[in-house]
Amino acid sequence: MTPAQPVPAQPVPALSVEHLSVGYAAPGGTVQALRDVSLAVAKGEVLGIMGESGCGKSTLAAAMMNLLPAAARVTAGAVRLNGTDLLRLPRAQMRALRGRAVAMVFQDPMTAFNPVLTVGRQLHDFTGAAPAAIAAMLSRVGIPDPDRALARYPHELSGGMRQRVAIAAALLMQPQVLIADEPTTALDVTMEAQIIHLLRDLRATFDGAIVIVTHHLGVIAELCDRVAVMYAGEVVEVGPVDAIFHDARHPYTRALLACDPAVVDPSSGRLPAIGGRIPDLAHLPPGCAFAPRCAVALPECQTPVPRHSPTPDRTVLCHRGAA
Amino acid sequence: MTPVLHLANLSVDLPGSGFLSRLRLPVLCDVSLSVARGESVALVGESGSGKTTLARAVMGLQPTSGGTIAFEGEAVGDRHGLARLRRAASMMFQDATASLSPRLTVGYLVTEPLRIHGQPLPDPDRLARDLLATVGLPPAMAHRYPHELSGGQARRVGVARALALRPRLVIADEPTAGLDVSVQAEVLNLMADLRADIGLAYLIITHNLALVRHVADRVVVLYLGRVVEEGPTKQVFARPAHPYTASLIAAEPKPDPRRRRADLAIRGEVPSILRRPQGCEFHTRCPIVQDICRHAAPALTATGPGRQARCHFAANQNQQGEHHAMEH
Repeated sequence: MTPAQPVPAQPVPALSVEHLSVGYAAPGGTVQALRDVSLAVAKGEVLGIMGESGCGKSTLAAAMMNLLPAAARVTAGAVRLNGTDLLRLPRAQMRALRGRAVAMVFQDPMTAFNPVLTVGRQLHDFTGAAPAAIAAMLSRVGIPDPDRALARYPHELSGGMRQRVAIAAALLMQPQVLIADEPTTALDVTMEAQIIHLLRDLRATFDGAIVIVTHHLGVIAELCDRVAVMYAGEVVEVGPVDAIFHDARHPYTRALLACDPAVVDPSSGRLPAIGGRIPDLAHLPPGCAFAPRCAVALPECQTPVPRHSPTPDRTVLCHRGAA
Repeated sequence: MTPVLHLANLSVDLPGSGFLSRLRLPVLCDVSLSVARGESVALVGESGSGKTTLARAVMGLQPTSGGTIAFEGEAVGDRHGLARLRRAASMMFQDATASLSPRLTVGYLVTEPLRIHGQPLPDPDRLARDLLATVGLPPAMAHRYPHELSGGQARRVGVARALALRPRLVIADEPTAGLDVSVQAEVLNLMADLRADIGLAYLIITHNLALVRHVADRVVVLYLGRVVEEGPTKQVFARPAHPYTASLIAAEPKPDPRRRRADLAIRGEVPSILRRPQGCEFHTRCPIVQDICRHAAPALTATGPGRQARCHFAANQNQQGEHHAMEH
């Protein structure tokens, strides 16, 4: 009798987005910012959400915090944190969870701080943490001389330092999920490298889930375990980071990776581009939204697209399926 | 041949603010560089390195405190010289949408430089159409307003505007900042085409190294307002002579999860110009710092044909690099 193979424990999703559709009312009709998005991020995992402007990644990040703008309407789906649908939570309860259970770090932390209060005062007000704990966290995120930093106003810190303080503020709440929306986009390359290093380093002690939303392919490759690629409001491909970067199945993912100047050999002259532009989200084409720009489109791409699973840990939204 | 643009020992001081208002803060120190006809030179550095100040100084938008600027061999000193420069050199601004007046149509905007310079404009509609065609935009775009444009389109309109006076030099400040990867490629290809077609020279100001590798023949690296390295792009990327350049290249996130960096290439941040370090200004962050770096400022010295670096150990580094290259 052969002993039963140990079944790998299914990772418990800390946060899951289920068939989420979000629209914005606009004069020309409803702009469908998110369409049937399903994603999950597990404890201890770093999930990257990658896509170009207008793909819906920021709307998705906002929905994960239940921070959608007033004009947005959730037309279907749920965002679950430990089984609770955040989108249907009464306002007061959501406010209690936001920051505590799900915390967010924004692109420019300057806008997230109050300019007339010192950093120390704000961190204390946000988190209720003791000054010693705050100082310890600041030094944890690489701020030299934390006591001096606490006495400063936000504008007295550099962009990189503000981002470190924002990350410290988020972590002081010991959230189950940390969402970072373009956390390095406003920074110089040397500071970007340091923030990437910091986030990677934090995984040793932070056991929550991390979601990184960015258009920067290098940041995704350096940081994430899994990647969701978005296009025109849909998740078109999900998979482990290595599979996405080395064995992409969706034509959009492939095209996007191919035109990154960082991967193209400079002696090749011209850079590949993706012709055309993203479709009008108020008047989407029937079938695949990428078909009008797709180099390998088929006649059936005009019809609704099936979601394939080439391997258990990957999905691809394409008529060509696992090809 | 006379370079299109030649800066010799250019310096810019800015007044300090508040109680420092009597101080002059050196923002650019003794910067020399040339851009030849049809050449593309990239000026690289982090925020605060003085790269945008340099562009503004060249265009006469920023008073200089020393050195000279020559355009096609003639000094740009007085109003007359400046007017000539502004006719023959144009600027692509970083925020393309914000640099376009919201109340004017694209058609008017692209022909506006001719109006500003009082040049004959017999058929503005036709010129607008031609300029838009050059940058790959449909003629109907002429009736649009800036807020109706996407980021890539606004950038193209910026290029069309920069081309209206048929310049010989375009100074492009972060030409791809804020653009999506796929649109970035289009703008860079357009810039390369214009260079091949009309022999345009570029001075590209950026912190995006991937962009530099693609579009620049030569690269000039600034740190705290000083040139710390200069050389042909290929050579500099293959064997940086200055540890700062090496750190910048190493710090760039690689879009390949199999090549993740194990450790950090560079620590700390650019010091404030109010507190310039003694000796070599990079020594506070330098991975190979030695005692001499803390008190003696290195000079910009030649490290090879067309190459210079401001480092006490530049020559050694270069030899090390070659050594390395030979081993492989």
